[in-house]
Amino acid sequence: MTDERSIESILVADCGTVFTKLLLLENVEGGAAGQSYRFVAQAETLTTLNPPWNDLSVGVVNALEELEQITGRRLYGAGRLITPQRGLEGVDAFAVILSAPEPLSLVIAGLVREMSLESARRAASGTYTTIKTILSREGSLNSPQTTWSRTVRDIAPDVVLLVGGVDGGARRPVMELADAIALAASMLEQDQRPVVLYAGNAELRPQITKLMGDITHVEVVDNVHPTVDTEHLGPAQTALEQYYIEGRMNAAPGAETLLAWSRLPLLPTATAFARVVEYLCHREGNTDRGVLGIDVGAATTTVAASFEDRSYVTIYDKGIAYGPLEWVQDHGTAPLLQWLPEEMEEEELLVLLHNRELRPWTIPQDPRELWVEQAVVREMLRSALDMARPTWDPGKANVLPGMLPGVDPILISGGGLVHMPRPGQALLVTLDSLQPTGISTILLDVNRAAPALGAVAGLKPLAAASAMESGTLISLGTVISPVGKARPGEVVMKMRIVYEDGGTLNVEARYGDIEIWPLLPGQKATLELRPSRRFDVGLGFGRGGKVQAIGGLVGLVVDARGRPLVLPEDPERRRRVLHGWIWDVGG
Amino acid sequence: MFIPYSIVNPLTTVRIPRRLPRPGEVLVRLGEAVEASRIVAQTVEPADFCIVDVARELNVPVKKVKAYLKIERGAAVNEGDVLASRGGLGGQVCRAPITGTIMGSGRGRLLLEAEPQTIHVAALVPGLVVEASPTEGVVIESTGAFMQMGWGNGKEAFGKLRVVVRSPRHPIRTKHIDAAAQGAILVGGLHFDEETLGQAIAMQVRGMIVGGIPPSMIPRLEAVEFPVVTTEGISTAPMSQAFFDLLRSLDGREVSVCGRMRYRWGAERPYVLVPMPTRGAAPVNPETPLAVGSRVRILRGPYTGSSGVVSDIPKGLIQLETSARLPGVQVDLGGKEFAMVPFANLERLL
Repeated sequence: MTDERSIESILVADCGTVFTKLLLLENVEGGAAGQSYRFVAQAETLTTLNPPWNDLSVGVVNALEELEQITGRRLYGAGRLITPQRGLEGVDAFAVILSAPEPLSLVIAGLVREMSLESARRAASGTYTTIKTILSREGSLNSPQTTWSRTVRDIAPDVVLLVGGVDGGARRPVMELADAIALAASMLEQDQRPVVLYAGNAELRPQITKLMGDITHVEVVDNVHPTVDTEHLGPAQTALEQYYIEGRMNAAPGAETLLAWSRLPLLPTATAFARVVEYLCHREGNTDRGVLGIDVGAATTTVAASFEDRSYVTIYDKGIAYGPLEWVQDHGTAPLLQWLPEEMEEEELLVLLHNRELRPWTIPQDPRELWVEQAVVREMLRSALDMARPTWDPGKANVLPGMLPGVDPILISGGGLVHMPRPGQALLVTLDSLQPTGISTILLDVNRAAPALGAVAGLKPLAAASAMESGTLISLGTVISPVGKARPGEVVMKMRIVYEDGGTLNVEARYGDIEIWPLLPGQKATLELRPSRRFDVGLGFGRGGKVQAIGGLVGLVVDARGRPLVLPEDPERRRRVLHGWIWDVGG
Repeated sequence: MFIPYSIVNPLTTVRIPRRLPRPGEVLVRLGEAVEASRIVAQTVEPADFCIVDVARELNVPVKKVKAYLKIERGAAVNEGDVLASRGGLGGQVCRAPITGTIMGSGRGRLLLEAEPQTIHVAALVPGLVVEASPTEGVVIESTGAFMQMGWGNGKEAFGKLRVVVRSPRHPIRTKHIDAAAQGAILVGGLHFDEETLGQAIAMQVRGMIVGGIPPSMIPRLEAVEFPVVTTEGISTAPMSQAFFDLLRSLDGREVSVCGRMRYRWGAERPYVLVPMPTRGAAPVNPETPLAVGSRVRILRGPYTGSSGVVSDIPKGLIQLETSARLPGVQVDLGGKEFAMVPFANLERLL
């Protein structure tokens, strides 16, 4: 096996729900002379986990052949990846990240919706899970045990997450749930019985194990809600992630082949992405602001955040292709239609959503399809963020209650965002959905390489850091989002932009507008901010100051539309406003 | 670059899996020839059950329940039968809520299980059993015209194919569904309306094959007993010409229609098979590369559902209306109409 110091080339396979992508990372300085790693080539093909192939490795081999054509380098021979690198053949190391396998199917059982059940739901969102149903009494005095048992038996989930009762608290209602689950498990074939993960009242652990231990596998972890005021998600999250890795990732058809080529265990894509966000947080070293990463994929939306030493990852089980139809059942079509700058009938919207789900690899071909795609990204992101935020402890970054905590940079990744035809569109969708406050740099993971870098970090941290600093993440620009309320058109901030060459520009931002000022990628400028007394740019209401800004593909952006962002109710006016914003960002 | 495909082929050999929803029993042998109606496997549906809380219903302590029971474990009971009773003034009775068998008791409760139902899986297509797993099901090899569909309502059937419209742009209407439609599988071009569906149910048609259906019809179609499949998915667009032409050429033949689909985590697609009494037709080759002359269908944009032939594969990128620039092809849609389509929005027709 090649040791870390001698790794000159790394290949990462990112097997997503729809696409499998290979990224080749190489030390471009060459040998001991230097350590400067760059992504030098990539190839993409369809993921082959499902029929007619039923083998993950087929897609990886297809992408390898494409990569061979692009690079002219032989990578695959004698039925396997060539490792280590020999001259112009093969690579030194190979890593695999996965989000392709079906999520863990989960039934949550517990007592109080706002307490233990909510904590269980949050614990489940830390890995790839689908919550099939939630069992609780729902205010009834009697336990509907027959219904509970029938539900668990009919669903036959992978895992039942049983919670309820603070430590030393409720006993009988928890045992009634356990009884029903045990009965359901006993009615299933041995290989279909769910694992029971118990994360409830600690005093009941022996009874739960005794009741169910002979029927199915029971794992006991710390209570997710040990007291009325505290939540403790870590152990339950770790256990669920482990079930996903063992039961889904390692068991995926073809995973064994990939594991045989790799130096590392298979890694969930969301975990790899969160590593990059954590790295950016350490790099920035700013305790007043955190770092936020969002990855909008075909089937899931990942939100990773890091504040001081605390990191969080939330996986929302809906993405740009799979999930929007289910989302519409809960929320209706109005929230999606409100984002369209052109009139559209509900039926046309639903046709587009249905066919996106039937053919998830396709892309918008005309503007109407594009608007729908962007509306879907906005709403999936907003829902994912709503799920993620209660799990955060932002500390000093939580400046304005109810608003997004201060985050800088914001990393945006995933096909749903990076495949937008113009960078301004990706920026606008991000601002509309996240509604950042204060000053943030938006980084675009243009080649969707961030999760791969997270995997590389586990193999050779220096290579990951080197690649990240060398243009893998491209700035869309610095965004200043003053928070406050004013009348449309009212000046909310004056700003003097002092460029590196000494040139200056005095500008004003008016309420309701998005203003873009020139600041090219890599170009730096000093900004002298003077918000009006009812507006806060992260320095306190009415307080200004000097800040450094760095340019990007869009430029220097002032989002003076206020927080929270409110769209006009009148459809005609709303469409005019949306058109205006799209125009402003060059979309 | 791998381009997805749909099979729309007048003569090919296909392997059709016929799986049980849960472990059961396979009733045919490997190598056996089967007809479409032959039951090839069967299993038992999990029975309904209920937990009867006798202690609560009689209002007695758990330990005393046994003394009041009128039945024993293993006893068969009918709905309404007395399971336990407490006599005397103000006595109470606990009755069976369903017909079934007492399967267990404990902690003051009885577990009552209903009779399980047997599920049969028919061959659906005539052919040879080429794979047989003793508990899971079989794979049947069959030859004929085969078409992979875009959407299906989960039902399946076989019957006589009846093309009732003149072109892929014409919908099935009530006037097309007369006495001759009984037992037939009807083909129409466009989607149909509620009234037409009602007529189809009344006339006992055995299935419907159309270009698309609007989203509002999905719940209604999922509830009907016969298969409804569409070539274009959920759509109000006409049926792709390639599918319509093939179906029209097969008018009057026996056809198997399967509307089962699981496009995510299992990729089971609906299909239509018109069996032919020949052997040895070559299966389609999914590796067939995309080239000038390849038959394709367009999946997005203003030409959604249109089928044609690749007339050019430009070396550079093509520009879309969205302003995205991507590699793609020029498609000849016939009638001197051409469309530029990115690879991502193409499907090969094999």
